[in-house]
Amino acid sequence: MSAIGDIVARKEIIVCAGAGGVGKTTTAAAIALRAAVDGKRTAVLTIDPAKRLASSLGLKELSNEPTKVSTRKFTSAGIEPRGELYAMMLDTKSTFDDVVTKYAPTREQADKIIANRFYRNISGTLSGTQEYMAMEKLYELYADGNYDLIVIDTPPTRNALDFLDAPKRMTDFFESRVLRWFLLPYMKAGGGFMRVANVAARTFLSIVKRIVGAEVLDDTAEFFGNLEGMYEGFKQRARDVAALLRSDATTFVVVTSPAEDSVEEARFFAGRLNQEGLHFGALVVNRVHPRLSEGIDVKPRQISKLEAGSDVGRLLAKLLDNHEAFMRIVTREERNLDALARKIPRHRWVRVPYLEQEAVDFSGLLAVSDQLFPA
Amino acid sequence: MQIDEFLRPKILVISGKGGVGKTTVAAALALVAARNGRKVCIAEVDRKGTLPKLFGGGELSYEPREVSPGVWGMNIIPDLALAEYLDVQYHMKRISRVFTSSQFVDYITTAAPGLKDILVLGKIWYLEQNRQDTKGEKNFDTIIVDAPAAGHMLTFLSAPMGLSDALRVGPVRRQSDWLVQMLRDPDRSRVHLVTLAEEMPIAETLETSQALHDKVGIDTGPVFANAILHKLLTPKEKETLEKVMEDEDPSELKDAASEVGLRIDGDDLNALVGYEKFLEARRAIQAKHLRELRRGLTEPVVELPFLFSAGLELPDVETLADVAEKEIDTL
Repeated sequence: MSAIGDIVARKEIIVCAGAGGVGKTTTAAAIALRAAVDGKRTAVLTIDPAKRLASSLGLKELSNEPTKVSTRKFTSAGIEPRGELYAMMLDTKSTFDDVVTKYAPTREQADKIIANRFYRNISGTLSGTQEYMAMEKLYELYADGNYDLIVIDTPPTRNALDFLDAPKRMTDFFESRVLRWFLLPYMKAGGGFMRVANVAARTFLSIVKRIVGAEVLDDTAEFFGNLEGMYEGFKQRARDVAALLRSDATTFVVVTSPAEDSVEEARFFAGRLNQEGLHFGALVVNRVHPRLSEGIDVKPRQISKLEAGSDVGRLLAKLLDNHEAFMRIVTREERNLDALARKIPRHRWVRVPYLEQEAVDFSGLLAVSDQLFPA
Repeated sequence: MQIDEFLRPKILVISGKGGVGKTTVAAALALVAARNGRKVCIAEVDRKGTLPKLFGGGELSYEPREVSPGVWGMNIIPDLALAEYLDVQYHMKRISRVFTSSQFVDYITTAAPGLKDILVLGKIWYLEQNRQDTKGEKNFDTIIVDAPAAGHMLTFLSAPMGLSDALRVGPVRRQSDWLVQMLRDPDRSRVHLVTLAEEMPIAETLETSQALHDKVGIDTGPVFANAILHKLLTPKEKETLEKVMEDEDPSELKDAASEVGLRIDGDDLNALVGYEKFLEARRAIQAKHLRELRRGLTEPVVELPFLFSAGLELPDVETLADVAEKEIDTL
């Protein structure tokens, strides 16, 4: 059984992680698709899928509940699924709203927070929000207990590690020192910052007001004021999510390309998983150039002779040149992957070669599935 | 398009989806500008990019540093831009340190998300106006902005319009108007998008180009399609190859090889033909996307070659600069 087949059989949550642009979303969708074909009631939570990929799963817009991928998609591809596939695209904003509603002591307080301008900004732009909400949604789907398997894609960060640190960054943000120093006195003084005793804080606030306007400060103060008493709920949930990620139910699939920087990232990420006590399930190496030969020993002199010769000679020179160029890529990729093998044993790998078609439609996804689950 | 026309606006904003080689293209264009006698500054925006790796040397800082003859590099960090702004505007060096040493900027830029972008654009304006340095040592002819990834770039470039709308009067309003003027003047600023010939980057490029016109009103120049595979065989050669390979034992190729003292066996032949097929298949996908790109764009497309070498080293950037210079000249 392939490394992926093995974890699909044993785990309830699969998190696909890796640097941006290496094919995480496609991998997540392809794993879920196959699990559904093999009989599992599967949900795939995608973060930012390509439009055609999304529509190939029947997704038209962001939604906060998984929708069933129609059985007809499978049957028209000649497959009779034994399970069911549900897909969703994360709606960060409305997930955040749900979280606020859940932890606010009263409906009124929740509404106040949701209407606040500072909140509206952070729920869209604060770094880490998307990651935090993805984890929140994952927890919710798992707790509902409706699925045998949940496969989740992670947000497209420059750095794969960002996503592990995101929940902590969020809670830190809400609790930081700066808040206490500058904003709390302001809030306590009922918005009249001239009454703030601390001289540094007063100067500071007056400049801020000059630059960004009093409204921004009022909004911020109001937001944090309304948030009082909710921190514990947030933090408890963050702890619960962390526990779920560490539990035996969950495993991580690290996705990479054979390119140097992406491999480097995967190495770090695997190390971090280990440090954090998270389960490493499998490594997917995407877009590997095929090795078609052990190399042809040809001298530049021979190439020049061929080029000066017959039509067939010139043709051969071009083919040799092209072959040599690809061998250089293959050699480089193998060197990068050898370095990775020192960190992650090869029996935990699945290689997906460069495919002739892009995996942007249902049949493309099936082709990737076949590579991930070799017979 | 003459190189001089290409370099007419002082500010060239380079943007595209993550992973398309934006920074490499920015570096290649910087070399093109430097070769044409311009003093160039490449500005990364608030991130540790791969630029130092390309040119060698350590990380870039807020202070421009010469990374290659005639090419300077810097990293515009919003916190430091804020400190500089406060210092210049309000002569508050000491207090500004309090701002930038804390997470304060995080809060305020979260509360007013456009502020970070405005600080960065303000710094670019400052560079454009040659206010950087009274001795004129760092007066640049060309400023290449290695901009945030496309999705964020629109917000980045629209930030001053938002601020100008929000504020009616005051110094900040005036300054934000200056930024709007800078961005909307085709003699001063132009955007170049970078893309790969793949599904997602192409879709995003088309969307972004449209939005740049409709929402930002900034001039856009040639789009750079990166990592395009070269055409290997002429149609005639392709035909010859097919004919030769029909043979159970393609002796013609083997004979041509042995004439120059080269021995190739059946496996070698399969590999030679295999890689040719592979190249063709990838090229066909790229060609489809390039057609889609050209159809959807009003800007011309410059194709930059896929490099079989390791990439991310100065000779590669030089190669790309050679191609870019030639291609721009023939537009």
